[in-house]
Amino acid sequence: MNTNPSEATAPAYNRSRQAREAETLLDRIQDDFPDNPQAMRYFYDLFRRVYCQGEPVKHEGTLVGTTCIHAPEELIYAFGATPVRLCNGSYHYDQIGADFMPAKSCPLVKATLGSLHAKAAVPDTKSLELIVNPTTCDQKTKASAMIEAMGYRVHDLELPPAKESEEARLYWQRSVRRLALRLRELTGRKLTRNNLRQAMARTARAQTAFRTLHQLRKSAPALFLGKDAFLVTNAYFFDDLDRWTAAVERLNAELQLRQMEGFQAAQKRAPRILFTGSPPIFPNLKLPLLIEEAGGVVVADETCSANRMLYDMTAVDEWLLNDMVDGLADRYLKPCTCPIFTRNDDRQRRLLQLAADFHVDGVVYQAFAGCQVYEMEYRSIADVLAAQGIPMLYVETDYSPDDMGQLSTRIEAFLESIKTRKRNAR
Amino acid sequence: MKKIRDAINGVDLRRFRFLLQLFFFVLLVYGGYFAVNLGQSLPTFACGFNDAGRGGICYLLPLQHQLAMSWGTLFGWAGLMVLQGFLFFALWFFILNKGWCGYICPLGTIQDWITSLRTRLGVRYSRYTEGQFRRLSLIKYLLLALMILIPLGIGGALLPHDMGTPFCDICPGRMIIPMFTGDFSQLTIDFSTKTTMVMTALGMLVTGLFLAGAFFKKRFFCFFCPMSALHYLLSKPALLKLKKDGAKCTRCGDCYRVCDMEIREIADEVKEPRIMQDDCIMCLKCVAHCPEQGALKATFAGIPIFESTEQGFIKRMTKGHHDEHKPQ
Ligand code: SF4
Ligand code: SF4
Ligand code: SF4
Ligand code: SF4
Ligand code: SF4
Repeated sequence: MNTNPSEATAPAYNRSRQAREAETLLDRIQDDFPDNPQAMRYFYDLFRRVYCQGEPVKHEGTLVGTTCIHAPEELIYAFGATPVRLCNGSYHYDQIGADFMPAKSCPLVKATLGSLHAKAAVPDTKSLELIVNPTTCDQKTKASAMIEAMGYRVHDLELPPAKESEEARLYWQRSVRRLALRLRELTGRKLTRNNLRQAMARTARAQTAFRTLHQLRKSAPALFLGKDAFLVTNAYFFDDLDRWTAAVERLNAELQLRQMEGFQAAQKRAPRILFTGSPPIFPNLKLPLLIEEAGGVVVADETCSANRMLYDMTAVDEWLLNDMVDGLADRYLKPCTCPIFTRNDDRQRRLLQLAADFHVDGVVYQAFAGCQVYEMEYRSIADVLAAQGIPMLYVETDYSPDDMGQLSTRIEAFLESIKTRKRNAR
Repeated sequence: MKKIRDAINGVDLRRFRFLLQLFFFVLLVYGGYFAVNLGQSLPTFACGFNDAGRGGICYLLPLQHQLAMSWGTLFGWAGLMVLQGFLFFALWFFILNKGWCGYICPLGTIQDWITSLRTRLGVRYSRYTEGQFRRLSLIKYLLLALMILIPLGIGGALLPHDMGTPFCDICPGRMIIPMFTGDFSQLTIDFSTKTTMVMTALGMLVTGLFLAGAFFKKRFFCFFCPMSALHYLLSKPALLKLKKDGAKCTRCGDCYRVCDMEIREIADEVKEPRIMQDDCIMCLKCVAHCPEQGALKATFAGIPIFESTEQGFIKRMTKGHHDEHKPQ
């Protein structure tokens, strides 16, 4: 990891708090586990270069920030622009962002604000020409004006608070069309059937790669650890789309080989965990990492930094612009299991199905202190899981490292209880 | 076995359907030239007015004729004949269920061809609003009722005889299908009586609407089709079935998006496994466009024959992404 002299004269990024935070985490991810897949090197290096050394990620055309998975990326790509997801996981920025929000607010929103406020943030925020802010939870919605006050251009992408009705669907389809108009103004380009189709082909390939990885994690004993999976999907936030996809395809190929060789990434008895709730975002992979350091293995997740972001795919009937755009709109609304919507039966069903498909032994539910929607859904999720006899650990936490000790005790106890259950069941 | 199943589930449904529809179109519209005769109880619009080419006859024609017999005859020995016709109709239907609509009906096929023409021209489709949809889907039952009551009225001498086969008079099949064998004689207004004049003029109008409607709206006519209403009354026990496993469904709405009949339940309903709704034409496009393994499937006599799979979905979509020429 060589730094050239011209970079050395710039402010010593690699000694910033953010860089150290990232480095500590990457060290744990890499060094605490034997037998990391070779193909993971790409991702480890990527994070080290970008987060620890502040190397910029090259992008094509206009850089457009998004603050949530509801912003249709294909549209952004179709206009020759590049999306970057701004949801931030750094404790350092969480503290900076605390100035903007009330005391008990979501660390994710605070960190995002903090990173936008900061001078040399990662991922790069200086070159943002537009931020697409879907009106999801109250905190994100209200963040919009604050971001604007920092001098950014913001597009409020209006998202309906319910997704079941046909009215909501049509409202959202119109909202997505409005975004297309805004992007046209911004980039001066036109949306055509061909550029949209190419953009959709690129994300579809990425989603396919993700799905393959996802399916590989069904295998028992586990082939692959959750900490790496989260790192892979977190790279999607800022990495070049095609390069990311190629790297995941290489990883999949390696895991398929491992599968044939009967490789085990975790002990045979390792409790298989389904992760749900507030999204683990680099470098806040605290909870999944603690689970796996304690001998569990995260085999699947239902979070918007991984599965919810990449799993669902767009169907098109007629490859004409109107049907493609509406299809995209549907893809970003209908299957979404985000708790900001009125009802959550889709989330419940998704969790039950994941638990069944991935032979899950227990669920870990992360709720960021201050993220009301996840806190509010805790009960209903706990109830449906309990009805199926699936144990769940509810963890309220934030970005500060202070609760690590206490958390690891709770996680160990949870994993232990699962093991006991399994032993008794046999 | 698994290989075969994967191949079937990965089929390019659009092509498969196109070919099958073409085959049945030729069979029913030109079959007569090859001495094909499938009888006169077919549960599909194999129009009987296509004298030369028909390979079988649409059941609605004999049904209306029979019901128009004088009541004395109808409720006497001829009743058995009516019953027999209905039985054959039900038997044909029993095998394929609404598959007759998605794969066989010549009028359905013609509408799909018109849709193809539209997409090639790059013209977008229109949709009904939800309210319109709910109201429109009742019309077919009204037509069915009229189609039965009017001939009965004639038989009972309550209505004039020249209303003969009231639905055939206004059915677009009567004018369009014979044209395929070069018979344009139906394309006229019958001035013999006032009733025939009104009815055939109405028929012209409906035919015009059929052609124009189908251009803008996928399967425009099927929303009003009384044959479809009659089908639905019998569809419960049929062998071909559309099933849904709600637990596997993410409610992504992909199936609903592609459904020509705008059937919302196909995506939203997650409790009832028998998912077929009254407007469904069993085209199975929903199954082909569902990305979730086994969420939707078509079964025949309880055996799954076509199932939604991740691989199949990806294959079909990738084809769409890379198909340079055709917007379809
Ligand atoms: S929790 Fe919901 S609103 Fe928040 S970032 Fe994730 S998807 Fe968006
Ligand atoms: S006119 Fe219509 S209803 Fe009558 S026989 Fe022909 S297709 Fe059937
Ligand atoms: S619903 Fe459509 S496909 Fe079915 S019989 Fe009627 S016209 Fe034919
Ligand atoms: S496409 Fe499949 S998963 Fe999506 S809503 Fe329809 S049945 Fe459910
Ligand atoms: S529900 Fe499925 S089979 Fe029925 S009409 Fe719609 S797409 Fe075709």
